[in-house]
Amino acid sequence: MRRVVLYEGFERFWHWAQALLILTMMLTGFEVRGLGLHLFGFQRAVALHNILAVTLLVLIVFAIFWHITTGEWRQYIPTRKFLREMIAFYVTGIFKGAPHPVRKHRMAKLNPLQRLAYFGFKVLIIPVQVTSGALYYYYPNLQHALGWPPASLWVIAVVHVLGAFGLVAFLIGHVYLTTTGHTPLTNIKAMLTGWEELEDDAYFDET
Amino acid sequence: MPHPPRRPSPPLLRRALQALLGLLALPFALAQEPAAAPPTAGHGSYTILHVAKSRRQTSDHSKFQVLKGPFKDSDGPAVTRACLTCHMKAAEQVMATSHWTWNIAKDGKDGFGKSTLLVNNYCISIIGGNTESCARCHAGYGFKDKSFDFTKPENVDCLVCHDTTGDYEKEKAGWPNPGVSLAEVAQKVGAPTLKNCGVCHFFGGGGDATKHGDLDDTILKAPRAEDVHMSRQGAGMDCIDCHASDAHKVGGPNYVVPADRREQAKFAGESVSRMSCAACHSDSPHKSYILNRHYQKVACQTCHIPTYARGTLPTNTFWDWASAGRLKNGRGYKEEDANGYEKYNSIHGEMIWARNVRPSYVWYNGTLKFTRLTDRITVPTDGRVILNPAEGSYTDPNAKIWPFKFHEATQPFDPILQRFVAPYTAGPKGSGAYWGDWDWDIAIQKGMATAGLPYSGQHSFVKTTMLWPVTHMVAPKEQALACTECHKRNGLLAQVPGFYLLGRDHGTGVDLLGFGVILLTILGVGIHGFIRFSHGRH
Repeated sequence: MRRVVLYEGFERFWHWAQALLILTMMLTGFEVRGLGLHLFGFQRAVALHNILAVTLLVLIVFAIFWHITTGEWRQYIPTRKFLREMIAFYVTGIFKGAPHPVRKHRMAKLNPLQRLAYFGFKVLIIPVQVTSGALYYYYPNLQHALGWPPASLWVIAVVHVLGAFGLVAFLIGHVYLTTTGHTPLTNIKAMLTGWEELEDDAYFDET
Repeated sequence: MPHPPRRPSPPLLRRALQALLGLLALPFALAQEPAAAPPTAGHGSYTILHVAKSRRQTSDHSKFQVLKGPFKDSDGPAVTRACLTCHMKAAEQVMATSHWTWNIAKDGKDGFGKSTLLVNNYCISIIGGNTESCARCHAGYGFKDKSFDFTKPENVDCLVCHDTTGDYEKEKAGWPNPGVSLAEVAQKVGAPTLKNCGVCHFFGGGGDATKHGDLDDTILKAPRAEDVHMSRQGAGMDCIDCHASDAHKVGGPNYVVPADRREQAKFAGESVSRMSCAACHSDSPHKSYILNRHYQKVACQTCHIPTYARGTLPTNTFWDWASAGRLKNGRGYKEEDANGYEKYNSIHGEMIWARNVRPSYVWYNGTLKFTRLTDRITVPTDGRVILNPAEGSYTDPNAKIWPFKFHEATQPFDPILQRFVAPYTAGPKGSGAYWGDWDWDIAIQKGMATAGLPYSGQHSFVKTTMLWPVTHMVAPKEQALACTECHKRNGLLAQVPGFYLLGRDHGTGVDLLGFGVILLTILGVGIHGFIRFSHGRH
């Protein structure tokens, strides 16, 4: 076994900042929607939600820059390699104590399922939320200028809300799956400190 | 007035000295105008505003020989003739306004005015023989029936709008009360104040606070919380500070011109009425961008007038003409409710009065469509006729959500000709007037004959609603509606149609779907985790 830095400083900052922002936006968003939460008060919740949205956008811009310049974006390219084995592992193998079919490597720290999930998160959920949120915010400016029918705000709102529910579901699954490491807290510790123990013979062909 | 004792009390000697100085200064203080005393609280602009207003006057009317009279009791026209010796075009100007004609005719619409065919659901109409009593509020002398000469300049009543003494009073047909010293009033004329407009506009519907709900006598002594603009503790403004005049035409909505129509002067020096809030406050007065954007679709009044009739007086919300005429021993009688408000009067029927009333909210682009006695009415299936529905909807770029007083009533109707009728109500026994003889058939017949309108001879009672825009009694900003009074399920805008409102509308099944997805995820994760941990492995 050897200890390596699997998650660099910026990556960890980006991950946890994004987690905090999205969590707070969930709370403020569901309070504004009137789902029974009374944490910030409506007016403050709206203001906070919008400020956090801009903050998240800035963070995403930095993250994209980081991913491009470091080449880390390649980590998210979806692959079919070992995909079937991963699914089999989560459906049956994990209960029998079977070994993890994919070993982590500095250059391939995500298994094929993670790649799919995070890729989807980045190119689907986040863009949908950003776009629908921006349309929602600028609706009063756009509505008459573009001659949209009155029902369009309803459509925007529903898309945004469904995206939010999707995020909550993602969060639950995501947090649960962090417990599937060596010990339930191994993965979270790695995401906090950056360090993770990888097996000595870990080798992954980079192509 | 002593300063409020905020600081710790000074030593005895200093206090004694101060008291002595105070006594010495007392004669000077007493010699000053009492009006110069600063208001006790609020913005304090009242004093400044009114000093500025009195400074603007360029003549002292008490020095004019022609105003010294003597004038005979009630001889208003003699005073007017005196006024016209200097202000020779004034009567001509007044006679071109609706304060004089009580008749609005514009853009091919006709008959919208008190002196013509307009119907309301308070006193119904003046033209069925009630003109003489109603014309107490006419800006003229002698308007008692159709024979009134609307072209005679000396019949214009200058004093009702320009009296500054508060002693001037009008009687039937608009004649001055014989007890008023006309010379004294004439020598102290000035620009109209709240009182001048209020003598009529506070008393619409036949009594203080009755009609509008956002205008009543209590405004004259209102604390700032009742009306930030007109309260002396607030801005201390007069009606004409917003309802600016142009050649005696006082700015204001009337029956055929939209109310919220003009925001800014189109060119320098144009006399515009400042009847929209934005004319003074701009269209983005809040710090919050999001609040400012509400201006597109929500009238300022909607949030800033949370309730109307916020003075001590109740306004009439229901007037049931159908139940009028119950008699005890052949005489009319009155009954009061627990609050001391008149709940029954034989001459009006049952009534409901209320204070601090939450308005109803409606899309409104500034135009109300009024009903005339000549309009053929199809009574809707719910039996309720809206006499002046508001125009506008979400898709109308000029419409906003506005607060209204909804006034409910029942009133006489001709079911054969399908028209509203103008009964003769105010008159003595034997005249045929309803309040004298208690007979609707005769009263309506007489009224319609006087009005020169056809009547089938049959009457019924129809439920009617009138919409009165609420725009006065603006509350201090701390009392403005909170977001969640509308942005919640079943909030104040629960019934306002045509658009998606955050917090109110959820979309059928959207939340159900969302929570379903979350629940399934939790279930899946739970089962997976349970099996994992119950097998003792991870």
